[in-house]
Amino acid sequence: MRSSKWLRVSAVRVIALQRRGIGRFLMKPIAIAVMIAAATCLLTVNALAAEPIVLGWVGPLSPPGNFSGGQEMQWAVQLGVDEINKAGGLLGRPLKVVYEDTKGQPAEGSAAAVRLITRDKVAAIFGEFHSSVALAEADVAHKQGVPWVGTDVWADKLTALQYPEVFRLAPANSLVYVKVAAWMAEQGFKHVAIIAENTDFGQDGARVVSNILKEKHVDQKLVTIDLNQQDFTPALLRLMSEGAKPDIIQMVVAGQAQYQIVKQACQLGFAPNAKTKMLGSTGLLQKEVWEVDGDCAKHLLVVNIATPKSQWNNKAKAFAAAFQKKYNRAPTGVAMEAYDTLGVVAAAIRKAGSAERKDIIKGLSQISYVGVNGTYSFPATTDPAWAYHQFIDVPFHIIQYTASNQAPSDAPIVYPKKWATTDKLLPAN
Amino acid sequence: MTYFMLLTVNGLVIGLIYALMAAGLTLVFSVLKVVNFGHGSFYMLGGYAAYYAIGLLGVPPLVGVFIAMVALFLFGVAIEWLVLQPMYTGKVERKDEYAIIVTFGLTILLTNLALVVFGPFSKSPPAFLQGTFIAGPLILPYDRLIAAAVAVVLLVALAWFLARTSLGQALDAVSQSRESAAVIGINPKRMYTVAFGLGSALAGGAGALIAPIFALSPNMGELPGVQAFIIIVLGGMGSVSGSIIGGILLGVVQGLGVGFLPDPNRALAYTQAFGALLLIFVLLVRPTGLFGRAHTRLE
Repeated sequence: MRSSKWLRVSAVRVIALQRRGIGRFLMKPIAIAVMIAAATCLLTVNALAAEPIVLGWVGPLSPPGNFSGGQEMQWAVQLGVDEINKAGGLLGRPLKVVYEDTKGQPAEGSAAAVRLITRDKVAAIFGEFHSSVALAEADVAHKQGVPWVGTDVWADKLTALQYPEVFRLAPANSLVYVKVAAWMAEQGFKHVAIIAENTDFGQDGARVVSNILKEKHVDQKLVTIDLNQQDFTPALLRLMSEGAKPDIIQMVVAGQAQYQIVKQACQLGFAPNAKTKMLGSTGLLQKEVWEVDGDCAKHLLVVNIATPKSQWNNKAKAFAAAFQKKYNRAPTGVAMEAYDTLGVVAAAIRKAGSAERKDIIKGLSQISYVGVNGTYSFPATTDPAWAYHQFIDVPFHIIQYTASNQAPSDAPIVYPKKWATTDKLLPAN
Repeated sequence: MTYFMLLTVNGLVIGLIYALMAAGLTLVFSVLKVVNFGHGSFYMLGGYAAYYAIGLLGVPPLVGVFIAMVALFLFGVAIEWLVLQPMYTGKVERKDEYAIIVTFGLTILLTNLALVVFGPFSKSPPAFLQGTFIAGPLILPYDRLIAAAVAVVLLVALAWFLARTSLGQALDAVSQSRESAAVIGINPKRMYTVAFGLGSALAGGAGALIAPIFALSPNMGELPGVQAFIIIVLGGMGSVSGSIIGGILLGVVQGLGVGFLPDPNRALAYTQAFGALLLIFVLLVRPTGLFGRAHTRLE
């Protein structure tokens, strides 16, 4: 408002000078300067007064969903929003994200997507942790023609549906678990127990692992769990007692249910140890694993969907530092994915030069965006079906904790070879 | 045989914790004739109370359990006074519906408050005793062994209190007939408060005992809450001894079900189904549950 007033006053003074007939040689530069100042001020005023670009975030922030993972994602996104707005917003407009808690429930996800589209008129929806919920949201987004970008949802089906509006940063199960299963076979594990949650992610991941192990003639047992369950001891006793004892347990379980499995297996003297290793997923990267599992977490193998610290680009270093400073904890790979998801959507808006839904979809199809976890693009490959609008070069590695209270970034890397810092699994058999 | 024994012992241990929680729910139901849908949240609060007592006061884990029970007793008394007393002062017309709504509301409120206050990340108090008890083929973590032993002590103490003390007998009298109890000089309202406080303390004790075995999270009470309802129906609505037997039975049946279902893949995911089957079977044979009494409505 002050700028507008100054502008009006300046313009009146110029006109007054003109009327008084002050030398023309002086008038022209003054007029140009005033016009430039006016244009600058108007742009600033317009940017501040402009309608914000509204995006919708979806993810679990309360039970029964994995609310700890959802919280990390939300923190990372808010960090990104603040940075974008501090740098002047998007297309000269401020950025606003409306957060919807989907509670890990498909019905909640579906309702949240409808609310975001109809009530908040969002330009795009992004986020989510649970595949089953993501599938429900993607259906709504597809019907409404709204771009939807998934952060940490792995079920192959999500991109295999080949909805033009749906894009994914997280790996498809087939992208990661094919390699993980092949690695287990390569390591010489002969008997693998797969513990998988009874969700789209868990069952799909177990299927992928199982298929590869079958191809490699590795003996396997599958145990399906419910995420609400707390006592896994009867199933672990069964794994210990029936048939050949597994030499590795692969958990296809999201979030903190893994803590219980690890603790109970450890207390039974089953795993992780020299005879039976344990391999889990990203939930085990949170520091709380040490509080709940104590020394039982030592020697755990964990799949980490992120580039190792030694390979971080400047963006990753800056993000990790900012996250640590703001939330007093190191970001996990999930937080990095969430930060990058916002970055990808923002980049698509910039690329399209518009916040219209159709333009953002077009922008997403065309971008090549450098984030903290890699350079993102979403090719329209249709073979295999899950590769459609799937970020293919998802960085992932397997770490093994070797000391109590070890940070994931300090743990030795056992896979892939290009990043490996050790070729030995501990404790040695 | 060893495998059977391992499953049975594990089921027995978990069943004792279930029983402790269900005994509290039964006590509340038998005296107040109110089904407390917020019972699982008291279990969760008990776990957190022990965690903070151990962490902030530096007390040993078992003392933490005791502090949690005292804290939850006081909390239960306050909740009963604030939320449930309007039911028996004539301010509420539809008492049954009111009880369902307020206790449901309470569980939603407490779970979400816990998420804000305690945070979304898992916590765990220190173990009662590190290590595992091994005797021949028997493997039992000390945490479970101690939790089971404490649960037995608390259940025996509860049974003794209800049968042998005048306060316990007064509670029993109110549970049988509020009017008759009033006639002989027992203040039913005071008994409601005592019963609700005791029920909350038992739920809190169960939560505090389970905390080092599993982990603390704001929604940790949801599943045990459901189990407790199965148990009180199984044992007979309003019967404390029935809930103890029912809890143990449920724990053992679930453990054996997971261990022996022919499909090992689905066995664990069917854990709750074993409880439901047991309940259906018992209700077919004994419609009032194992030790059920007929009168169950708030007078």
